[in-house]
Amino acid sequence: MKKWQVAVIVLLATLGSWVGLATQAHAAKYTIATDTTFAPFEFQVKGGKYKGIDIDLLQAIAKKEHFTYQLKALSFNAAVQQLSANQVDGVIAGMNITSARKATFDFSKPYYSSGVVMAVTKDSSVKNFKQLKGKTVALKTGTAGATFGKSIQAKYGFKIKYFNDSNTMYNDVKVGNSVACFEDYPVMSYGIKNGIPLKIVSKQHEAGDYGFAVKKGKNAALLKKFNAGLAAIKADGTYQKILNRYLHAKESSITGETASSRTFFGLFSQNLNTLGKGLWMTMELTIISIILATILGLILGVLGVMPGKLGPAISSTLIYIFRGMPLMVLAFFIYIGIPDLIGHGFKIPAFIAGMITLMLNEGAYTGAFVKGGFQAVDAGQMEAARSLGLPYWKAMRKVVMPQGIRIMIPSFINQFIITLKDTSILSVIGIVELTQTGTLIIARNFEGFKIWLMIAIIYLIIITLLTWLSNWVQRRIN
Amino acid sequence: MSDHTVKVRVTDLHKSYGDTEVLKGLNLEVQDNEVVCMIGPSGSGKSTFLRCLTDLEMPTKGQVIINDHDLSDAKTNLNLVRENIGMVFQHFNLFPHLTVLQNITLAPIQLKKMTPSEAEASARELLAQVGLADKADVKPNSLSGGQQQRVAIARALAMHPKIMLFDEPTSALDPEMVGDVLGVMKQLAQDGMTMIVVTHEMGFAKEVADRVVFMADGLIQESGTPAHIFEHPQNPRLQDFLQKVINV
Repeated sequence: MKKWQVAVIVLLATLGSWVGLATQAHAAKYTIATDTTFAPFEFQVKGGKYKGIDIDLLQAIAKKEHFTYQLKALSFNAAVQQLSANQVDGVIAGMNITSARKATFDFSKPYYSSGVVMAVTKDSSVKNFKQLKGKTVALKTGTAGATFGKSIQAKYGFKIKYFNDSNTMYNDVKVGNSVACFEDYPVMSYGIKNGIPLKIVSKQHEAGDYGFAVKKGKNAALLKKFNAGLAAIKADGTYQKILNRYLHAKESSITGETASSRTFFGLFSQNLNTLGKGLWMTMELTIISIILATILGLILGVLGVMPGKLGPAISSTLIYIFRGMPLMVLAFFIYIGIPDLIGHGFKIPAFIAGMITLMLNEGAYTGAFVKGGFQAVDAGQMEAARSLGLPYWKAMRKVVMPQGIRIMIPSFINQFIITLKDTSILSVIGIVELTQTGTLIIARNFEGFKIWLMIAIIYLIIITLLTWLSNWVQRRIN
Repeated sequence: MSDHTVKVRVTDLHKSYGDTEVLKGLNLEVQDNEVVCMIGPSGSGKSTFLRCLTDLEMPTKGQVIINDHDLSDAKTNLNLVRENIGMVFQHFNLFPHLTVLQNITLAPIQLKKMTPSEAEASARELLAQVGLADKADVKPNSLSGGQQQRVAIARALAMHPKIMLFDEPTSALDPEMVGDVLGVMKQLAQDGMTMIVVTHEMGFAKEVADRVVFMADGLIQESGTPAHIFEHPQNPRLQDFLQKVINV
C-alpha cells in the first residue's frame, strides 16, 4: 500500500471511532439542554463545568428521581430549536412559561418566579420608560425581557436591538450603543453584584414563571419525574439551599476567582486550561476539516474538468450549492434540519455536524480553485500526454495534476487560514471551540476587552504558524 | 488489411465545428517509409487533418485507418494506436515540471513497462541523436525553442513509433533555430521513418519529401513529387500560393 492510502484508512478509522464515541455518549438516559450564559441560573465556572440554580436543581431532582442525563450547553435559541426538533429531551434554561410556548412545549410546574427590570449604565440619567423615546434598547432573544420590551415599544417609542447572549447585551449598554436593557431581576442583580457596571432603575414588571420544558406530547414520564422531584426537594429544604447559594452570594465564592487575578496575565493563567481546551477543539476541527475539504475539493475539481457532461455538471452543482450557502445556515441545516427531516430520534453529534459543515463549505471553495487550477494548465499538455499513448487518468495524474497543484498552492494556504477562522462560526451549534470559550469566560467574569484580546492573539499566533508551515511546504514543492 | 505497405489510408474525411466545415472530404494514402509534406495557406485545414489522424480531433464523417487500426471503430484502443504514432507540436508541449530526461522516459516507463534505468539509457541515446546529450537533467524552460523541439522529437521517438506526425514543427522558432530541427527531421527521413509533415518550409519539402500535398479550403487541391509541385504547378491556387511564398 502506498503512504497516502494508509493515511486515508487511518483517517477513516479515526472518524469512525469518533462517531462511535459520540453515539456512546448518548447512552445517558436523557439529554437536557441549557443556556450557556444566564447567571445565576447557568454559567460556566473555571475548568469548563456548568453551575447555577437550574443546573443544581436538575442535579438534585435527578438524584431524587433516579434518572441520568447528559447536559448540553447551547445558546438559548439553539436549545429551544433543538427541543422542537426533537434533538434533546428537555430544556432547563430560565425559560418563561408563556402561552405561545405552551403550543409547542409541555412545561413542568413553575420552579421560580421572577419579574423583568430595566437596567442602565451607572451614570445614566434614564430613570423611566418615557425617557427611552427615540433611543435604542438592547434585548436578548427569547427572554421575558424581550417579550416585555416588545410589548411596550409602541407606547414609549424606542428602537430595539436583539442579542443572542446576555453579556453582549450588557456590553452594548455599557459602551453606550443602547441606553438600556430589560432582563430578569435575579439575573440582572446577580450580574451587577459580580461586576457588571449597570444599575437597576425600575421595579419588577410582568412577573413570570420559569419552567422545565419538553416537546409537546413527548417525554411525559420525564416531566412527571421533574415535578415529583421538585416537590420533594422543596419539601426537604434542598430547593431553598440552592437558591440561597446563588442569590445571596458573590460569584467569586462559587467560581473561586479573586479580584487580584483580573489582570491580563492573571486572567490568562487562570483560564489557561479552558483556553487550551477551546484551542484544541479549534485545531482538531481545523485539521480534520482541511483534510476532508481538500479530498472533497480535489474530487470536485477533477470532476469539473472531466471530459463529458456528467462530471462537470455534478461538480458545478455541488460547488454552487455549498459555496452559495452561508456557513452558519449550513451548520444549522445539518445539525438541526437533517435530524428533524429524518426523525426517529436520529441525532448528529455537534462535532460531526461541524466537521461535515466545514468539509462541504470549504470543500466547495477548494473544488472551485482546483478546477480553475487544472483549467489553467495549457491544453497542449494533455494533448501531448495523450499523444504519447497515456490513458486519460494517467495523463491527468502524471502531467496535468502536478502542474495544476503548483498553481493552486497559494489558494490552498488561503483556504486553510479561512477554514481555521470559520471554525468560530460553529459555536452556534454549541461546539466549544476557541471563540465560544471566550464567550463563556466573559459570561463569568465580564472582562470583555481582555478576553477578546487574548482570543484574537491566540488566533493570530496560530495563523502565523500555519502560514509559516505552508510557506515551507511551498518552498519544498517548488 | 492485406496491403501492408500502406501506413495511412484516409477516406472522405469531413470535420465541422458547428456550421463551419474545415475539412470537406479528404482522401489520402501514405506508404511505408514515405515522407509526405503538406503545404497550403493558413486555415486550409492542414493541422486539423493531422490531428484527426490521432483522434485529437474526432472526424465528423469519413474513415481513418492508421497502422492498420480503424479509428472510427469503437473497439479500437486509441491509447494503443497513439503509442505507435509520434506527434510533434508547433509549441513543443514539453512537460515543464519534469526534466528533459523525465520528459522522454515518462511514457516508456508508464506504458512499455521499462525499468527506469533501461528507459534512461535509451533516452540518453536519443538525446545524443538530436544533439542534446548534455541537457538531460535540466528543465525544458531553460532550453531554447529549437532545443525544446528536438527534445520533443526525442520524446516521441522514445515510444518507437511506426509513423511520425509533425504539426508545423518550426513555425514557432527563431529563424536561426530552424536548421537544427530540420536537420534532425532530415536524418529521420533518411533512416526510413514514415512521416507526415505540415510545414511552411518549402526548402525542406523540396529536398526531403517524397510527395508534396497542397491543401486549400479544406480539400487537397493538388499532390505530386516536389519537382511536379514546385516546377509545374497546375492548380491556379497553388500557383498563386507558391508565388506569394517565394516572393516573401
